[in-house]
Amino acid sequence: MAKKEIGLIDELKNKFKVKPKIQGERRIWLSIDSDRLIEICKWFKESGFVHLSSISVTDWLEKGDYELTYHLWSYDAKKLITIKTMVSRNKPTIESVTSIWAENAQIHERELHELFGVKFKGNKDLNPLFLENWQGPAPFRKDFDWRNYVRDKFYNKENERQRVYYD
Amino acid sequence: MIEEMELAPKESEYDLYFGPAHPGSGNFGVKLKVDGEIVVSARADPGYLHRGFEKLMEYRTPIQNAVLSDRLCVLEPLNWNLIHAEAVDELLGIEVPERAKYIRVIMAELSRIQSHIIWYGVFSKGTGFDTGFKMAFGYRDYILDLFELITGGRVYPAGYICPGGVRRDFPNNAKAKILKVLDKMNEMIKLEELENPAMNARAKNVGVLKLKDAISLGATGPVLRGSGMNTDVRKEEPYEVYDRLDFEVPIRKEGDAYARYWIGVEEMKQSIKIVKQALNELPGGEVIDSSLKKPKLSLKIPEGEVYVRNEIARGEAAIYMVSNGNINPYRVKVRGPDFLHMIPVLEYLLKGAQIADVPAVYWSLNICPADMDR
Repeated sequence: MAKKEIGLIDELKNKFKVKPKIQGERRIWLSIDSDRLIEICKWFKESGFVHLSSISVTDWLEKGDYELTYHLWSYDAKKLITIKTMVSRNKPTIESVTSIWAENAQIHERELHELFGVKFKGNKDLNPLFLENWQGPAPFRKDFDWRNYVRDKFYNKENERQRVYYD
Repeated sequence: MIEEMELAPKESEYDLYFGPAHPGSGNFGVKLKVDGEIVVSARADPGYLHRGFEKLMEYRTPIQNAVLSDRLCVLEPLNWNLIHAEAVDELLGIEVPERAKYIRVIMAELSRIQSHIIWYGVFSKGTGFDTGFKMAFGYRDYILDLFELITGGRVYPAGYICPGGVRRDFPNNAKAKILKVLDKMNEMIKLEELENPAMNARAKNVGVLKLKDAISLGATGPVLRGSGMNTDVRKEEPYEVYDRLDFEVPIRKEGDAYARYWIGVEEMKQSIKIVKQALNELPGGEVIDSSLKKPKLSLKIPEGEVYVRNEIARGEAAIYMVSNGNINPYRVKVRGPDFLHMIPVLEYLLKGAQIADVPAVYWSLNICPADMDR
């Protein structure tokens, strides 16, 4: 097992000229450019990372970037690799990984499209998932303050009882 | 999926709604397109329990989030407590005291048994065996009594497993009581194992999920093990003290509803084994790290990011936590196992099923809408 694991990281370094960061026994963190995402993800899938544990977005408001993280698990190597890539916050667009992880990726991307407004090129079904008739901005963005939104939208000043909650 | 929804309507085709107010579906709906007795396509309709936990956690400190993490899943709050606490521990770089680790394992396993009993109960109810439902909820109460004794809350422990360890030590009579309850659980397992012709007829060869499909649909936990995969986060990536405990991972190759149900029963036996071992080996000492003994609301989380995985009753659960050095986490992503089981897996399994089999397929996945909607 040990040999196989060392091989994986070496091969990764040689093939893609990247610098993975190793944390503890089973965590590898890897930052890449967004245009190489598909190529690198394909390689990981073929190397045994068949399980896409989850996809997440971190909104770095000050830098003006969205950081997308893909958490992949290999049942053979027993390691979790996190692929991180940045896209612009104003026009968040990235290639979809549905061609690699099929329905699993599809549903994660659909959720992130709704909550963060990220456009995944190639994902055929990005319909709303949790929110019904939502008209406002993507709710999980850091600059969206739900308290203000609720006050502006739902506070009926003529109703005295509501003052308790909103004033 | 979309193309299939837009099939030209035939005279025998109609829409059927399973949930969201169905007595057994939880707060979750499935829109079925049905042709005669056969389901042509299914579309999950989630969102009835969406509370935005990930966003709420960004506005709160870890001490408050420990309490909030209870609510991630109604049926196994202690396990979600544990994952959240582990994520914060790792960011803070705290080594949890030995005794706390054992207590965490005992509580997590009791919670798993309790959750599997509910699974048996709702699966029985879904397939028309109402006695099973009542039996299950009766036996579950023994474990809830234990939770009340140890954590103070019957269903929600209010952040009993918190960053740094656990909030309180076991009371003196806890060990004897746990052992007594485990005897009761053995009774329950015997009842579950009785040959039940109704269950066999309703569950065997229903909702068959092949291993290849299970992996590509993102199934984990009992669903994946029911399809023949030997996987368990407790074995692959031991957290707390699971590497010191002896237990097996039950596997079944058939991939049908019956196989998944059987996995649930076997896992209860393994959990009982784990609790007994942990109780025997339970060391003395503190139960919470000295720096966190008094909950500090102004506690700063060091900069960093962690991805913590746990095996909960429903499968792989994870929390991805990013901190930028403030008192609140910068981003928390919650990965619930049911997010995959209730949308892609369920939609896939219901396609082509009989209407009468819908509840059997639905409940065999051991689902809980709370951790899917979050």
